[in-house]
Amino acid sequence: MGSSLRIVNGRVYDPANGVDGEVRDVCIRDGKIAADAPPDAKRIDAAGMVVMPGGVDIHCHIAGPKVNLARKVQPEDHRYDVHPRTRVTRSGTGGSVPSTFATGYRYAGLGYTTAMEAAVTPLGARHALEELHDTPVIDKGFYVLVGNNVLLYRLLQEGRLEEFRNALAWWIKVTKAYAPKLVNPGGDELWKGQRNANITSLDDKIGPFELTPRKVIAGFIEAATALGLPHPVHIHCNNLGHTGNVATTLETMRLAEGRRTHFAHVQFNSYGPAAGKSQTNPTSGAREIAEFVNTHPNISADVGAVMFGRSTIMTGDAPLAYMLRQFGGTKWVNADTENESGCGIVPFTYQDRVYTNAMQWAVGLELFLLSQDPWRMVFSTDHPNGGSFVTYPRLIRLLMDREFRKARMAEVNQKALDRSGLRDLSREYSLNEIAIVTRAGPARLLGLTRKGQLGVGADADVTIYEEDPDKEKMFSAPRYVIKDGELIIEDHEFRVDHEGRLLHVAPDFDPGIEQVIEPFFEDFYTIRFANYAVDDRYAPHHEIIPTAPQAAGARP
Amino acid sequence: MSENLKFVPHATCTFCGCVCDDMDLTVDMDEKRITKAENACVLGKAWFREHGIEQRPYALIGGREATTAEGVEEAAQILARARFPLIYGLSDTTCEAQRVAVAIADMIGGTVDTTTSVCHGPSGIAFETVGESTASLGEIKNRADMVVFWGGNPAEAHPRLFSRYAVTPKGMYIPNGRKDRTVVLVDVRRTMSTPVADIFLRVKPRSDFEVLWALRALVKGRRVDPSIERRTGVSLAVLEDLVARMKSCRYGAFLFGMGLTMTRGRHFNSGALLALTTDLNEFTHWVAKPVRGHGNVTGADNVVSWQTGFPFGVNFSRGYPRFNPGEFTTVDLLARGETDAILILASDPAANFPKAAIEHLKRIPVISLDPKTTLTSQLARVAFTTATYGINVGGTVYRMDDVAITLRPAFESPYPSDEEILSAIRDRVRALLGGNRVPAVAPAVAAAS
Amino acid sequence: MSLAFTLRTPPTVPLEAEVLTPARLAGLSAPEAAKLSVVHGNERADLGEFFQVQGTADGGGAGEFRLTGDLSRVKHVGAGMADGRIVIHGSVGMHLGAEMTGGEIIVEGDAADWVGPEMTGGRIVIKGNAGHMVGAASRGSAVGVRGGEIVVFGNTGNEAGHGMRRGLVAIGGDAGDFAGVSMLAGTIVVLGSLGWRAGAGMRRGSIVTMHPVELLPTFSYACTYAPLYLRLLLARLRRLGLPVADAQVSGRYQRWSGDAVELNKGEVLILEA
Ligand code: SF4
Ligand SMILES: [Zn+2]
Repeated sequence: MGSSLRIVNGRVYDPANGVDGEVRDVCIRDGKIAADAPPDAKRIDAAGMVVMPGGVDIHCHIAGPKVNLARKVQPEDHRYDVHPRTRVTRSGTGGSVPSTFATGYRYAGLGYTTAMEAAVTPLGARHALEELHDTPVIDKGFYVLVGNNVLLYRLLQEGRLEEFRNALAWWIKVTKAYAPKLVNPGGDELWKGQRNANITSLDDKIGPFELTPRKVIAGFIEAATALGLPHPVHIHCNNLGHTGNVATTLETMRLAEGRRTHFAHVQFNSYGPAAGKSQTNPTSGAREIAEFVNTHPNISADVGAVMFGRSTIMTGDAPLAYMLRQFGGTKWVNADTENESGCGIVPFTYQDRVYTNAMQWAVGLELFLLSQDPWRMVFSTDHPNGGSFVTYPRLIRLLMDREFRKARMAEVNQKALDRSGLRDLSREYSLNEIAIVTRAGPARLLGLTRKGQLGVGADADVTIYEEDPDKEKMFSAPRYVIKDGELIIEDHEFRVDHEGRLLHVAPDFDPGIEQVIEPFFEDFYTIRFANYAVDDRYAPHHEIIPTAPQAAGARP
Repeated sequence: MSENLKFVPHATCTFCGCVCDDMDLTVDMDEKRITKAENACVLGKAWFREHGIEQRPYALIGGREATTAEGVEEAAQILARARFPLIYGLSDTTCEAQRVAVAIADMIGGTVDTTTSVCHGPSGIAFETVGESTASLGEIKNRADMVVFWGGNPAEAHPRLFSRYAVTPKGMYIPNGRKDRTVVLVDVRRTMSTPVADIFLRVKPRSDFEVLWALRALVKGRRVDPSIERRTGVSLAVLEDLVARMKSCRYGAFLFGMGLTMTRGRHFNSGALLALTTDLNEFTHWVAKPVRGHGNVTGADNVVSWQTGFPFGVNFSRGYPRFNPGEFTTVDLLARGETDAILILASDPAANFPKAAIEHLKRIPVISLDPKTTLTSQLARVAFTTATYGINVGGTVYRMDDVAITLRPAFESPYPSDEEILSAIRDRVRALLGGNRVPAVAPAVAAAS
Repeated sequence: MSLAFTLRTPPTVPLEAEVLTPARLAGLSAPEAAKLSVVHGNERADLGEFFQVQGTADGGGAGEFRLTGDLSRVKHVGAGMADGRIVIHGSVGMHLGAEMTGGEIIVEGDAADWVGPEMTGGRIVIKGNAGHMVGAASRGSAVGVRGGEIVVFGNTGNEAGHGMRRGLVAIGGDAGDFAGVSMLAGTIVVLGSLGWRAGAGMRRGSIVTMHPVELLPTFSYACTYAPLYLRLLLARLRRLGLPVADAQVSGRYQRWSGDAVELNKGEVLILEA
């Protein structure tokens, strides 16, 4: 870690610090960006290259119980995409759900240095942490599924809001999670308890509870706001994937009432009512969603763009996966977790000639192109749901290169395209905007102040791309990748292996809450309360990001 | 009994795949013995009670006493030299040790395989074909009003499957426990488990597939030939009644064992049951779960899967993982005589493998890690004595429903853990090879299978 | 003279030799061919370390070569080949002709498991027995043989034609269990007897057998007839050297439909005694 580096002659894109393509030096010392480097520091000549902070993925699925089921269920998808070992790095397999080592190396190989696994059951936290530990190079964290939690529902239903908030904090802390995640709130109870039914509106009654999704979502936003988490509630809305769901999405966004809230992969929640004679073919709702986000600074979103080709639907939204099963082929996985969640997995292929798939592709691009604030509408494919993270370079090119986009548009289902707004959009993203949506923006939304930027004191996670008019090629294989000041990739090759950190939060709570939680465990869990919390051995390299009250308290 | 007692609450039993984590242990620290294991079933009680530290050499090389370090050197030399080395077992140790075992296989370009290939491997293959609707055991406890045990004898093999998880416990929507559940047992013979059932289906040996296939057809409203009764011993009327109950329950669960997976039909038997589960979800909620034997065989499946993409039978000789049961599974590799060295981690294949496989074990250098003397350790070139996981060693194990649990060891052993020995071997092999072995041949697409 | 390989040093561990295709050998002299890479266990090796190589390869991809010896540990021979011809005098290891798209492989001996998995064209002829998974789908994949034909004179193991979508698998002897399991289309002919549970989960396609067999309870009897296509097919198999009797060519067959668990559009044809 003690090594120093000086990157010279590169064009630097560091939007968080207002640097837009200036040629300037970037210095690194002891794993951090520094004002200067000693004279004997290794020099990297980045002439003709672009220097950016390492990429930050705010929403992907890379580790934990459901991911491992999705890996196991698709040997045929791994066979043709092997990841051979080198002298210094482990082997693995790819496909839409790569093995842990392949995941880490391939993210690094695209210039990404941080990624957030977006849905882990609390009971699956230990498993997720073990996998993240085996995911090399990148820093990582996960969001914990709390939106269908039975005990939290009971507290909310009984109006015990303080205990609700304390229990939420407890759950986040003992699982070493980064943020609370809601997936199809209320859906699991209907799925598991009422013969595979599902929620259809924010005002549906949630099974035996005197609760509705509306009440649940509002409750979580309020509690998370009070806790001052670095990243707010991260919501996968109800009715995801359904034609006409834009109404539900907007209603959910309104529930935030000015408080910070993040909406995951909104593309999947931006479908207008059915078009023409069809009962199911959606129109695009991208404009309404983009407008709402544009005009509400408390709201942020990641796009969850769809890229054609092989994907894997894997979600806490079990009824959704069941619905998609009919299009997916022969395999379907469902996995219920006691008191906490559901889960569904379907191998899936997006086809450009299929109306719905083409519409999804168009809606994703529209959301990007209609967004007026790249800091709040950031980059994702909801890997591997909308497409693998290895398609990111192509998605970047679709945003940066109008002609390329047009050529691609000519190949997709034209009816769908007619009913989207994509033909009217000629915008092209600049490198600076790409740096925002793939790095600076997600880092800011996550409250990771030392990521996504190259100011003095920032983590020395740096990517250097060779400039190329073909942006897909440019972003596919950075020449250099530096993680924590270490030169991991040099001349496109791995020089050393590296273990990144777990990023998590540890909000404070009233310890008395354990007296409320423990009896519930004795009755309804099959694991002892004492064995539930995940201990520090599962996070050998970690960093706790303070909550707002903690940060304030720590200040002298 | 001495006065020097230690109380270890919330410990975990790793004797079977139930991995009960509610063991309250009392340890006599002078005698180094567990004198009491509260909540354990008879099997668990015996497991804890009979565990003592055996006086054995730290390592034996060719039958001669040696230090652990000498054993590590010899083992590393064998593995670094071998052209088709195999690492086998893994299901009775911690995930921490399993991770190192896979790392060694990757580094040397060997094969890693677990005891899954001789128990629920067929269920793994079935899973890859049709998927699976499944659940954590707590969902079965809280919600399942119909439970079907197929091809297993939990009363004798997994006693607390009945009492803690799936038959008698009260749950959130099962307030009266046993009374609120319909329990069905399907097997080829009566066993100690039979009395627990409301409905017992005795099927003719090796006809499980036909029964499951008929159930699938009936669930879908298709015709089934009445010859089913003659062939399987179960009448159409009985099957129709069962289907009606299965469709009308609120939350159903299959728990299936090796009586299904290891009889003729194998992965198709498991596959038929998993497909039936999927079919039933058109009508109501159903899940299925293989009942796993070894304490951490589920951990082995998970570790091998996340590190390689495949659950067992994984070969690294081309520089990347490949999966093919039958080709890269241990019994087959040994029986064909294709392996030239083997590291056996916490398993005793010399006691239960087919003769041809055992004969080959005798011809090649064997490295064994085991707390006890076994037939395998006796024929090993290098035999390490290790501490017992769960009792003397901490770490992680996975319950049969993929729930990870942290062990709370009761007392220390003088012997090193599997993880320690494997890590030392890995480091030494790395030094011998100068890093990972990289075969200088490009991946061949058609050869990737 | 075309290339001829004689196994001189039998490998002690599996040898992966996907270089043994007409296209890879095209235009090579014997010494050049001997320098080609194979994978012996976990290390690269020269083909010549194991084989004595004689002759010179035919030009172009459509050449022919010959392998002699007990190759039962030599895997992936002819994998991915597109044209040309391979003749093997002896037994051969797994994955023979895997994913081949054209050309022909003749084995004057036995073949191990996985003959022609997921092939799309060409022909494989095994004069002896073959193992499990003849013309099958790889694990996890739903589609096996997509075209071409596999002819086995002897017996086969389980899962012959698993998931096949087009093409022909012809077996002169007995088939193991689950022949034609989950097949999507295509034809499987078994002159000997079928094992258990043939056609389980089949959607379309035909399985033909000359011996009485009890099918799964989800198959139902449809009719008895003498299908013309079968007559032509059997005549062709006879020309390939399979022992097809006149009574089989001209015989009447019971047609059973199945599998009712799936589309019920497949058929099993059973020769009437
Ligand atoms: S059921 Fe299994 S894990 Fe539980 S106490 Fe008995 S032997 Fe141990
Ligand atoms: Zn997601």
